[in-house]
Amino acid sequence: MNKSYGWAGKLLRVNLTAGKITTEPTSKYKDFIGGMGIGYKVIFDEVPAGTKAFDEANKIVFAVGPLTGSGAPSSSRTNITSLFPSNPYNAVGDSHMGGNFAAQLKYAGYDAIIIEGKSNRPVWLKIDNDKVTLEDASKVWGKGIKDTTAQLASVMGKDSSIAAIGQAGENMVNLSVIMNGLSHSAGGHGGILGSKMLKAIGVRGNRAVNIAGKGRELLKLNNYMMKDLIGANNQHVVPSTPQPWAEFSHKGSRWTAREGLTWGAAEGGPIETGIAAAGDVNRVGYRTMKATFDLGPSAEKYTVRMGGCQSCPIRCMSQLRIPKLEEYGLSPYVANSCMGYFSPQRVMFKGNKDIEEKGDGKMFAAAIGASLADDYGVWCNYGLLGTDLKHGYESGIFKKVLPADEYNSIPWNLLEEKDPAFLIDFYRRIAFKEGELAHLGDGAYWVAKRWDFGDDYWNNVKYGLWSKLGFPKHHSNETNGQVGSLISCMFNRDAQSHTLVNLVGSGLPIEIQKEVVAEIVGSPDGIDPQLNYTPMNEYKARLAKWAIIKNCLHDSLTLCNWMWPMTVSPHKSRNYRGDLALESKFMTVVTGENYTEQSLDLAAERIFTLHRALTVKNMNTVDMRNEHDGMTDWVFDKDPDIKAFTPGTDKMDREDMQVALTMFYKEMGWDEKTGAPTRATLERLGLGDVANQLAKLNLLPA
Amino acid sequence: MSKDLVKKVFDKETTRREFLKLTGKGIAGFAVTSSILSMFGFGEEAMAATALPEGLLVVDRSKCTGCQRCEITCTLQNDGKIQPFISRIKVSENYNFGTSGPKMNYQYEDGQMGNLKMAPVTCKQCREPFCANACPKNAIVADPNTGARVVVKDKCVGCGTCAEACPWSLPTIDPETNKATKCVTCGACVKACPTKALSIISWEDISKAHFFSKR
Ligand code: SF4
Ligand code: SF4
Ligand code: SF4
Repeated sequence: MNKSYGWAGKLLRVNLTAGKITTEPTSKYKDFIGGMGIGYKVIFDEVPAGTKAFDEANKIVFAVGPLTGSGAPSSSRTNITSLFPSNPYNAVGDSHMGGNFAAQLKYAGYDAIIIEGKSNRPVWLKIDNDKVTLEDASKVWGKGIKDTTAQLASVMGKDSSIAAIGQAGENMVNLSVIMNGLSHSAGGHGGILGSKMLKAIGVRGNRAVNIAGKGRELLKLNNYMMKDLIGANNQHVVPSTPQPWAEFSHKGSRWTAREGLTWGAAEGGPIETGIAAAGDVNRVGYRTMKATFDLGPSAEKYTVRMGGCQSCPIRCMSQLRIPKLEEYGLSPYVANSCMGYFSPQRVMFKGNKDIEEKGDGKMFAAAIGASLADDYGVWCNYGLLGTDLKHGYESGIFKKVLPADEYNSIPWNLLEEKDPAFLIDFYRRIAFKEGELAHLGDGAYWVAKRWDFGDDYWNNVKYGLWSKLGFPKHHSNETNGQVGSLISCMFNRDAQSHTLVNLVGSGLPIEIQKEVVAEIVGSPDGIDPQLNYTPMNEYKARLAKWAIIKNCLHDSLTLCNWMWPMTVSPHKSRNYRGDLALESKFMTVVTGENYTEQSLDLAAERIFTLHRALTVKNMNTVDMRNEHDGMTDWVFDKDPDIKAFTPGTDKMDREDMQVALTMFYKEMGWDEKTGAPTRATLERLGLGDVANQLAKLNLLPA
Repeated sequence: MSKDLVKKVFDKETTRREFLKLTGKGIAGFAVTSSILSMFGFGEEAMAATALPEGLLVVDRSKCTGCQRCEITCTLQNDGKIQPFISRIKVSENYNFGTSGPKMNYQYEDGQMGNLKMAPVTCKQCREPFCANACPKNAIVADPNTGARVVVKDKCVGCGTCAEACPWSLPTIDPETNKATKCVTCGACVKACPTKALSIISWEDISKAHFFSKR
C-alpha cells in the first residue's frame, strides 16, 4: 500500500443493524478535506430527504482531517456531523470536541467513522488499531460518562481514549452530549448515539501520522507559530494587564497571566503564571489563566493547573480541586471552560449564595453544575437551558403546564435561596426525562411550542434568542454588527464560528484591526468600532464569508477555530500581523502537495456551500432568506431611544439586514432572492452531483 | 560553533558548574533555555544539530498540563513522523488514569479522570541500565559523545526484551519499523514544552532526577 501523508487514508463504516464493520478509502472525500467536509458529504449523499434525527436511516459521522494528530498546535478536534434533533427540521448540525480522541483516531489509522443503522441491544465500538469490534455495553448502559470511561478503559487499556454518552444521551434527550476525557463535550448529538444504542467509542492507536516533508521542517513551522504568532486563548494577543514587554493591554483579553497570579492548588505549592511574554515559547501554557477569568478570584486557590486538548499549547480548561464538592456528593475534581461553567450559572438565575467566602457562590454553582452535566451528558444549547427554565418559572407558565405534584416536588426553595444544591435535582430530571419539566431538554424551539412561549420569550433582549429555529446568539450583532449577525444566521444551531470574534476581541486597537481587515477584504470599512456601526457594505459581506469559510476549513483540517486562524500576532515587530497562510504551510509540509491559502479557502467554500445545499434539502425549501435566515425582533428593537448606526448601540436595522443578506448571498454566488445555492455555483465548486440531486427534489432556485 | 568545540566546552567541569549556577534556581527550577544556551555561543542552528551534553531529562509534574507536545516533538525529531506511542517520554498513556490505569477509586487516583495530576515518565539513563543489560543483541550502548543509552538501529531485532526489562517500560517497539526506541537526551521536548515542565539536568544528579520524575 502506498504511504499516506497527513490523511490516514481510510475510514470506518459501522453498520449497527447488521453488525458489519468495513473500511473505505478516504480519497473520494479529498475535495472536502476531512472533518466537517466528510460529514456533510456523507449526510448529503446517504441520508434520504425527510429523515429525522432519531430515525434508523439517520447516520452520524465522526471525522478528523489531514492535520489532526500531525502535531500542529491545537489539532486534536473531532467534528461530529448528523441531523440535529433540537432543530425544528432536524436539519444537519455539527458538534465538536477536543481532548485526545481525535488524535487517537488518527493514530489508529482512520480519518472518519460513519455510524449507520441501529443496534437492538446496547453496544460499544472498540477500535484497537486494525482490530475493530462491536462489544456488549449492557454493563455500562445506565451509567454516567465518567464510570463508563473508566470501565471501558480498563478493558481497552489505560492508553485508550473513550468517547461516551451519559444517561441523557441514552434517553434521547435532544440536548445531550458526546464526551471524551473529563470535560471535552460535543453538544447536541448524544441522543443520536442513544437512539442507535451505541454507548461509546473507544479508540487506541499506535501508528504514525506520516509527513511528506522532513521532521525538521515541521518542527520549524511549529516553532514559528509558537514564537512569532500564537497569543493566548481565542488568539488574544495583548495581556489583560499592562506589562513592560507589551505596548497594549486590554481588560477583556484572555492573556491573563501576570505576576502574583498563580495556579494556587498545584502539587507542591502555588505556581506563578507570571510574565509570559510574546515569543517565550516555554511559557505559552501559562498565558491563559482561565480559572479566575471564568469563575472569579476565588478560583485561584483551587486551581491545580490549566489543561486542554492534545497538541494544544494554550490550556484553556481550568482544572480545579474543590474539597467541599464532596459535601454535594461529587468528586472534588472538576475541569471545564467557558459555557461548561457558565451554563449552570444561567440555571441559577436567582443568583448564587456564598459558600465558603464572599463571592465564591458563582464558582461553586459552576463547578457543581459542570460536574453533574458532564457526567449525565446534558447539553445546554449554549446556555438556553437555563434561560428556558427562567422563563417557564418567572412567567408562571410552569404552574400551568406542570402537574401540581411535579411542580411541588421541585425544590424551588433552593433556587430562591440561591443554593447550588438545586442543580443536583435539576440535571437529574433532564437527564432521565423525569416529568414535564424535562422537556426543557428538547431545546428552545420545542419547549416554546409545547408550552406556548410567546413574543415576550422570543423577543427578550436579555434572553438572546437569535433565531426562531431555537438557538441563541453566539458572537452575533455585538461582534462587528452585520458581520457577526450574518455569521449567526447561516447555521442550523448556534454559530460556533470564532474567526471574527477572535480578531475583534484580540485586544488590538481598532486602527490596527482596520488595517488587518483591509488586507483581507480590500477596505478598512469591513469593520467598525464597537457600538458604533455603519450601514451595510460589500466589505462586511466579504468579511462574513471569510470568517465562515475559515471556520469550515478548520473544522475540516481539523484545527481549533477557537485559536485559528493566526490573523494577528502579539509582536509589535511584526506590526501585529499574523499569518493567514499558515494552514497551507502546514498542509504543504505534511502532505507534500502544494497548498495555498486560496486553494484551501476554495475547498472550504465548497464545504460551506454543501452545508447550505444540505440545509435546503433538510428543510425542503429554497426560501432560505425567509425560512432560515431570519432573526428575532430584539436585535432590531433594543435600545428604543437610540437609532441604529449611531454611537452607543449594537442594534441592527431591518431593511439594512436584508441588504446584508443580499450582499452575502452575492459573495457566495447564491441566488440573491432566496439565498439558495445556484446550479452554476454548485458546478463551479465541483458539486454538480449535489445540483442534480437538488434538481430532482425540485430544490434549485429558479 | 562546531560540534566538537561544543562538546569540548561542555566537557570542562567548570563550564558545567557555571551552567548550573547561571540558572540560579537549583536543580528543580533548572531549564535549558535558548537564552542560556546563547550565552555559550549556541545559535538556534547549533541547538538543532547538536545533542545536549551529558545529562538526563527530568520533569516537574506539577507544571505538566498534559498537552503532549513533548511526545509529538520527540517523534518528529527522532523518527520524522508523529507517533506518540513510541515517544521516549510518556504522557498520553498515563493521561487519563495515571501510570497504573483505571481502578475502582479512579476519581482519586492520578490522571485527568482522577485527581488531575499528570504522570509523565522519562528515561533515567540508568547507571546500570536494565534495558541495555537485558538486550540479547547488545543493541543498547552508551553514546560516546553524550553518555546517553541509545539503541543501535542496525543491531536491534525488535524482540522487546528492553521494554520488558526497564522498570518503567520506557523503550517501545515501533510497530512500523520493528525497532526499539528510547530516550537519547536530545532535549527537543524540553525546548517544546509550553510550561517549562521539562529540563535536562546533569548526569551526576541522577538521584535527584529519580525524585523529581517520580513514578
Ligand atoms: S510538553 Fe510539557 S506540559 Fe506538555 S505534556 Fe509534555 S511535559 Fe507536560
Ligand atoms: S530505558 Fe529504562 S532501563 Fe533503560 S536507561 Fe532508560 S530508564 Fe533505565
Ligand atoms: S530528550 Fe529527546 S529523545 Fe528524550 S524524550 Fe525528549 S525529545 Fe525524546
